[in-house]
Amino acid sequence: MSTSLDTTEFVVRSIAQTCVDNEKYFGDLDSVVGDGDFGYSLARGFEQVIAHWDEYDREDSGTFLLKIALVISSRIGGTSGPIWGTAFMRAGTALKGIDSVSGADVVAALRTSIEGIKKRGNSDVGDKTLLDALVPAIDALEASVLQGDSGGLSMQKLAAAARTAAEATSSLKALRGRASYSGDRSIGSPDAGAVAVAVLAEQLAEAWKS
Amino acid sequence: MKKFINDPQQFVPEMLKGIALANPDTLRYVPEYNLIHRADSPRPDKVTIIQGSGSGHEPAHVMTVGKGMLDGACPGDVFAAPPMDYVYATTKLLASPKGVLLLVNNYTGDRMAFDMAQEMSEADGVTVRTLFIDDDVSVKDSTYTVGRRGVAGNFFVMKAVGAAAEDGADLDELVRIGEKVNSVTRTMGIALTACTPPSKGSPLFDLADDEIEIGVGIHGEPGRERAKWSPANDLVEVLLDAIVPDLPFAPGDRVALMINGLGGTPISELYLLYGIAHEKLEARGITVGRNYVGEYCTSLDMAGASLTLVKLDDEIEALLAAPAEVAIRVF
Repeated sequence: MSTSLDTTEFVVRSIAQTCVDNEKYFGDLDSVVGDGDFGYSLARGFEQVIAHWDEYDREDSGTFLLKIALVISSRIGGTSGPIWGTAFMRAGTALKGIDSVSGADVVAALRTSIEGIKKRGNSDVGDKTLLDALVPAIDALEASVLQGDSGGLSMQKLAAAARTAAEATSSLKALRGRASYSGDRSIGSPDAGAVAVAVLAEQLAEAWKS
Repeated sequence: MKKFINDPQQFVPEMLKGIALANPDTLRYVPEYNLIHRADSPRPDKVTIIQGSGSGHEPAHVMTVGKGMLDGACPGDVFAAPPMDYVYATTKLLASPKGVLLLVNNYTGDRMAFDMAQEMSEADGVTVRTLFIDDDVSVKDSTYTVGRRGVAGNFFVMKAVGAAAEDGADLDELVRIGEKVNSVTRTMGIALTACTPPSKGSPLFDLADDEIEIGVGIHGEPGRERAKWSPANDLVEVLLDAIVPDLPFAPGDRVALMINGLGGTPISELYLLYGIAHEKLEARGITVGRNYVGEYCTSLDMAGASLTLVKLDDEIEALLAAPAEVAIRVF
């Protein structure tokens, strides 16, 4: 699996479009125990990503991701902006200057994204956040890349792992974010951020086929 | 609500325009980033000092830009952290080869915006350090908060690092000084009324005529307790009883004492409070070496005041005594 700027653009575009398309669904997920603004915040930010699509510096994948990070972190409201923006920023920094990105490069970049999210949100796996879907998903991607799977198969394994892990957040109690104020009431429904990661991964795997 | 405003959305830009027009020789205004900066900044021989926070705390921080103080201030909307791209753009625009020091009051939104802006500026080759200010004794640490809030005591950090930077101190030295001043600064406030953000149009919280909020935050956040009004002598005692044991300040200490107005309290009442606090400190064996009375960090039109103590040593006292020139001109 090797990734060029074209592939990076494809992935970012898919994520942006999926967030815009799922505004209501993500908002409904968040309103169970959060404040319901998750879908709205993501959609408004990624709308801006799409609106300025042709303007970003495309020197390499990393530079492109850094430009996207700036838009996301400034235009997504609440704490989602800095958290999602940090993920893109760390990945961009890791990939900056690399012309032909390997699968191992992608995994390494996503690992730095995860560390960035943990630092920015002062959170870790088990706190009932997007990390609970993202970390197992990247684990699955790494295993698939190490096995030498095709890009399409790697994406499917990533999506399957994200979905399973996202559903499993139902049994967790929210310890971070607005949902944490709900305490035990957060048990029984999945984390909105974790489900969003699963939906994004599934859409990406689907789009990869074509 | 009766305020001197046009469109609430234009409250901050219109204020910034006024500051720029009133100080044409010394300040510059960059509307795209809500940025007010010194006309002579950045300078290659001086670390750039930038503070950002929500608006509504004036003169902090847009009116404390000037020689011996800040190089630039990038405020957000009223009580809202500045957007991360504003902080990033400001940091790059004012970057000095000696580095950039970001001063941030300790709130979740501000921390996130400044942390990210620091990372992105560093990726572009700018040397950046960030100092978080957390002088408010009214809030205790908890698992779910980022810790104590930064309130009026941020003035002393700003003043000390501003003076040192003017003398050519390097970035590491400024961080050392800033951390030291923050570590010996303690503040607590009392609200007599709520404040009214322009975009909300009504008071931020309800406070009955005979009630006060002890330990109020500068955005109207609740503090330690809601109490019945009592005479000024008693209220100063309440503040000192919270602040003095917190550091602790001890008999024989020399301090700076600040009585800071929260925006809606006449200066006469602030001096009344100052006199009481000064005498009570002397009675506790604590010497007031420097005094500050007036509005330093406000909460829009909130009636109320905060009391800050800074434990002085020769280094801090000299930095506080150094000259500074800012946009507030009384005469």
